[in-house]
Amino acid sequence: MASAIIDATKPASVVEQFLRSDLFIPELRSHKKASVLEEMVEALARAGVTRNPEVVLTLLHEREALGSTAIGKGVAVPHGRSVLIGERAVVCARSSEGVDFDAPDGAPVKLFFLLVAPAVERDPIYLKLLAEVVRAVRLSKNRQQLLKAPHFAGVREALLHGAE
Amino acid sequence: MALSEQLEALVQLQDIDLMLREVRDPEMAHQEERLGFAIENVDHLERARRKIARRIDERLLQTYERMSRRFVRVVVMVERSVCQGCRMSLPTSTASRNTSSLAIENCENCGRILYRP
Repeated sequence: MASAIIDATKPASVVEQFLRSDLFIPELRSHKKASVLEEMVEALARAGVTRNPEVVLTLLHEREALGSTAIGKGVAVPHGRSVLIGERAVVCARSSEGVDFDAPDGAPVKLFFLLVAPAVERDPIYLKLLAEVVRAVRLSKNRQQLLKAPHFAGVREALLHGAE
Repeated sequence: MALSEQLEALVQLQDIDLMLREVRDPEMAHQEERLGFAIENVDHLERARRKIARRIDERLLQTYERMSRRFVRVVVMVERSVCQGCRMSLPTSTASRNTSSLAIENCENCGRILYRP
């Protein structure tokens, strides 16, 4: 009973609601920053998150020009909001070789999490989602699990565990 | 430029405006930087905005600028005949309007510019 009370009061993970196997790219074909973004936006379009991939891609390029969304240690979290995005979504993608993404530590990026959301004035869920993804990749063991997980289920588990 | 391209440019302008609003909001900018995201080149965004604005018909741009004082999102999608700005159902005549029409569509309830993907 006591544990049930503890579970009920534990803040719910936001990232859990937005992880989808059809938005998981186990190995990116692309080796360049621009084409990585393109490949991830293609996944969004295939999944029906947007019907305007070109506009979403432009938005992400503008965000990268503002400053890289690579956060170091081989991780990048490109993100953006537009009225042309129908729902919040997270694309998880990996590159075993790594991609130059203008990271602050200069390390090639091997883990990508593209976060998109519809444009609304204030979206606390979007901000929480960003924070949970960043928290999930802070620990080296989580990053290793995210890189090595053979299936989406392992990636999901590592993200949820890390975001706690 | 065709109407659909004009509207697309207007959406791009709006996306940049939202980003500029966020980087100029000290609380939002602090949150992004605290998470490790770089915000270094606001000038680039302002230049990109000017470049996109030049592609948009002057009257349409003026309408957008005027309405953006009232709404954060001036251009909104139409989903299942519902304006995604105010969530009101659009009259059948507007809802089924031919998208190749040269006139900009506005929501009869809130006045926002309607975009049909």
